Amino acid sequence: MTQIVLKNISKSFGNKKVLDDINVVIGEGEIVSLLGPSGCGKTTTLKLIAGLLKPDSGDILFGNSSILNIPVEKRGAVIVFQDYLLFPHLNVAQNVEFGLKMAKVDKAKRQEQVKRMLHLVQLDGYEKKYPDELSGGQKQRVAIARALAIEPKVLLLDEPFSNLDMRLRESMRDFIIQIQRKLKITTILVTHDKEEALMTSDKIAVMLDGKIRQFGTPAELYQRPVSPEVANFFGEKNYIRGHIKDGMFVSDLGIVITKYNEQSSVMAMIRPEDIELIEPSNDDGIIGIVKTVKYAGDRIYYTVMANNVELKCLSGTRKMFNIGDRVQVNIDFDNAVFFKDVW
Amino acid sequence: MRENHSKIFSIIMYLMIFILVFPLFILIIWSFAKSWPWPDLFPKEFGLRGIKYFLDPTSKSLSALLCSVFLSMTVTVITLIITIPAAKALALYEFKGKKIVEFLILAPLIVSPVAVAMGIHLSFIRLGLANTFIGVVLVHLLPCIPYSVRILKNVFEVTGEAMEMQARVLGASPFQTFINVTLPIITPGLVSAGSLVFIVSFSQYFLTFLIGGGRIVTFPMHMFPFVQSGDRMMASVYSVVFIITTLICLQIIEKLVKRYYKSGNYFFIN
Repeated sequence: MTQIVLKNISKSFGNKKVLDDINVVIGEGEIVSLLGPSGCGKTTTLKLIAGLLKPDSGDILFGNSSILNIPVEKRGAVIVFQDYLLFPHLNVAQNVEFGLKMAKVDKAKRQEQVKRMLHLVQLDGYEKKYPDELSGGQKQRVAIARALAIEPKVLLLDEPFSNLDMRLRESMRDFIIQIQRKLKITTILVTHDKEEALMTSDKIAVMLDGKIRQFGTPAELYQRPVSPEVANFFGEKNYIRGHIKDGMFVSDLGIVITKYNEQSSVMAMIRPEDIELIEPSNDDGIIGIVKTVKYAGDRIYYTVMANNVELKCLSGTRKMFNIGDRVQVNIDFDNAVFFKDVW
Repeated sequence: MRENHSKIFSIIMYLMIFILVFPLFILIIWSFAKSWPWPDLFPKEFGLRGIKYFLDPTSKSLSALLCSVFLSMTVTVITLIITIPAAKALALYEFKGKKIVEFLILAPLIVSPVAVAMGIHLSFIRLGLANTFIGVVLVHLLPCIPYSVRILKNVFEVTGEAMEMQARVLGASPFQTFINVTLPIITPGLVSAGSLVFIVSFSQYFLTFLIGGGRIVTFPMHMFPFVQSGDRMMASVYSVVFIITTLICLQIIEKLVKRYYKSGNYFFIN
């Protein structure tokens, strides 16, 4: 249980700036996701925290003390890598006890801990198996057990679920979160999967081009993104240009009342699920033509052309429209997010 | 169809094995052939002169053989110790002048060591290393290092650094990581590099002759005069012994390493 503080961290490889002035505070026992596309510096951040890399500038604190001068093996920050990296020449028990053996813990204690860890990850009786005899999910669990066996201060997960198939991924995700909640170990999860980040984390840091664009709770990030780039991480959105005048948002889609008063050009972001499509009933509403329909089982994705604006809509399967149908478009502007001067 | 294919395949395979193995039989027959004039298909007379001479203590062949084995084992161990870090650096790290360093290390494969041995000999005389065991060991490193670096570099390129990073974050010091993770993972590569180095060192004639100055007598130095003078029986006996010794030594190297990592599960497959 340790608070992690990253202070003004920068890191370059050659001429390429990988991390640019990163500032994050991760509370005790929290699970925080670093979300971003590949190459945005997520894994580099983990390696800096673990000590495999040194930052060019800035400081990393565990609790109140800087750890930059503590060598990797003494930091107590364990990374679980994407491809598990079980030692192929050691069996499951030897893999799990590796860290303890290196720390010269005596044998009886080691065996006890191995037993406890394998029980925790529900792999009792697998002690004598070798990594090549295990399935993906089992390898993953051994890797987690091995990391937790040394009772680290910080657990760093580097895209731990991306090599698993869909069903297994979900159950492993729940499983790891359960363990994390039980042990209350400060955890950082690196991922490029928005759903994974939203569902698992106490907080999410969205990273782009080596910078943290927004840091907050999943609901904050989803509902109040600070920029279109951050918003785009959580699915496709509609952006409607217009301007605000006397508390009204004026655009091609008509005039609506907003809470904002400033006079400026803005872009309104509207989520697909905030647009409702119904049979045309009265002449007041915006009428559009259905352009495309994508059926996804439990929901349907539409694009609708209305007043020369293309709108992406997401709706349930109760009412279905076909390409070319005339529909009335009801936009819920209460949930819209306005970005000022983004073009 | 498939049956046919596999038949052709196995015929070709056995043919190749035959082509490789057949000369060995000739060697074995030659080592017992007292006289084998052309154009006879089989020797006229058999004899044990070759074996007897080889086993006779006054010929000192056995002691030369032991000296050779000891020398080559020493060279193998030293070469591996030197080339593990070198190969790792060349495979995984970026540094200035990497290409030049790599070229220089591999240069003895292109430029015959014999060409530089003269200069080395002069230096060794000055340093007092000429005509000594250590001197011969050092000069044997010359043709051995490039082979070992090449093999181990490929091994490190495949294994990468990920496992070592994993070990480090689990609390292993750099030395613990090397012993417990790096070495076991590169073991298959170590066996092949070690075997090749042993053979290269074991067959050195000129370098040993020049730097050892006749004081360090290895097996090839006993063997060469017979080959040169055309005493086929003796040359064959020595060749057979040469091959058997090499095979036994390679077996020992592999068994020792395998027993060390007794699980038998050390092959690293990514």
